[in-house]
Amino acid sequence: MIDGPWLADLPALLQLPFLQRALLAGLLTGALGGLMGSVAVLRQLSFFSDALGHSALLGLSLGLVLGLHPTLVLIPFAVLFALVVNQLVQRSRLPADSLLNILYSSSLALAVLLLSLLRTPAPGLQQLLFGDILGVDRLDLVQLLLTLALVGAVLLLSHRAQMLLTIDEGLARSRGVAVGAQRLVFVVLLALVVAMAIKAVGALLISAFVVIPASAARLIAPSLGSYALLSVLIGCSGAVVGLVLSALANLPSGPVVVVVQLVLFVLALVWMPLLRPRA
Amino acid sequence: MVETVLEVSGLSVRRAGLQAVEAVSFRLAAETDTALVGPNGAGKSTLVQALLGILPSDAGEVRLLGHRLGPRGQLPPQVRQQIAYVPQDLHLRGRLPITVAEFVGLGWDPPGLRPPWCGAARRRQAVADALRCTAMTHRAHRLLSDLSGGERKRALLAFCVVRPRRLLLLDEAQAGLDPRAAEQFHTLLYQLRRSQGWTVLQVSHDLEMVRRTCDAVLCLNRRLRCSGTPDHALAPAQLERLYGPGWVPYLHHHHQPR
Repeated sequence: MIDGPWLADLPALLQLPFLQRALLAGLLTGALGGLMGSVAVLRQLSFFSDALGHSALLGLSLGLVLGLHPTLVLIPFAVLFALVVNQLVQRSRLPADSLLNILYSSSLALAVLLLSLLRTPAPGLQQLLFGDILGVDRLDLVQLLLTLALVGAVLLLSHRAQMLLTIDEGLARSRGVAVGAQRLVFVVLLALVVAMAIKAVGALLISAFVVIPASAARLIAPSLGSYALLSVLIGCSGAVVGLVLSALANLPSGPVVVVVQLVLFVLALVWMPLLRPRA
Repeated sequence: MVETVLEVSGLSVRRAGLQAVEAVSFRLAAETDTALVGPNGAGKSTLVQALLGILPSDAGEVRLLGHRLGPRGQLPPQVRQQIAYVPQDLHLRGRLPITVAEFVGLGWDPPGLRPPWCGAARRRQAVADALRCTAMTHRAHRLLSDLSGGERKRALLAFCVVRPRRLLLLDEAQAGLDPRAAEQFHTLLYQLRRSQGWTVLQVSHDLEMVRRTCDAVLCLNRRLRCSGTPDHALAPAQLERLYGPGWVPYLHHHHQPR
């Protein structure tokens, strides 16, 4: 890594291919988190993305124990987890937060048990927990880009149905929205985004990428049209600024990005009272 | 011959393992205003939601504008477009970044997947007209979550009027409104019903309003206990049968809708 760089070193830093890839990954992950978060936060699914991130550790542990590439295990595992949770939330009479807590803490416990079966310390576990955005390669970038294209297309086509569902489920059903299908599509997309972004962001920080930019945008967006755009903008700018700061200060990139997003959220919190409507 | 807009035959609905609605049959003629009254827990909201396909039914048949409602609430999109629903309230939590104009626009959109720019110009015009009809133009860019209860109900009526509809179902739409706001809401509903030619079925606890403005009344307590004109269905003997012995109706005092 770079030791003790200064602001003057920024142009030279930006020439480094791994940092260029990291910035691109940050932009894509920020956009993905902002886009998915814009729906997840309104639908009170913030905890769901957190649970997905934590339960992904079980998928990763399975991959490590079986000697498979973590992404190969992670994607089907995350999607399966999302489908199971979606069914349980629909059918169980327990509140969703209790159910999610049970599932993700159990997944975490199983993941630790599985990892304890490994004779040597799990390789790359630290990166999977906290992300390794500086280590993304071209294939990771292509995967993120394809995921963003898919998420963008689905949300663009279904966002009116998703919004009606957010406002009132009965109203959505009365307008002919296939509520079950819309819910299913969204949780599967969320699982896919978590699985794809986990390498860059880490299992423990992924929910911050989904929740913080959208929450900040929710506080200040004057309309639905601007809300998703603002959420994406905050996600992307937080990722880029955080990455540059982490490179300059030689600090872990994932946590710095989250701290920058937190600062943006606090700024939105301060700005919000100024937006209160006058009678 | 008077056109039938809604026809219900032997409808039964179970909710949380209990029989909430049992063997209910009735029909609504075009451009009439019918009230659905009954005590709490009588199955009124359940019935309305089953009529819209929001809740599944166990038995019976519902025909909306001549089309049979499918077992999973399926209706042809062109029929669905002609039906509107006003719930008790919208489940808005916290600041929701959607303006009144954007919300009303959701009522214009046909069901199904489509990008937001599809039909944008016609949508914008329809929204402007709907907001004018409901005296909500000045609130067009206000967030839905920042509206008062009465304004939110007017926004819901704008959501209904943004497209030509035939049938409007209201589930205690006046709930949570103070007497003045309730009166304003009913006056607006009355005017829109006349001007738009809506057939209305509304759940209500305001028997005086029902007596003044509705053409017919359905008295529900799991089963349909009585029906007919307000004078017949709201007679003391019928109300005692519906709400229980010793019940004395409290009469609200309203101005006549203008």
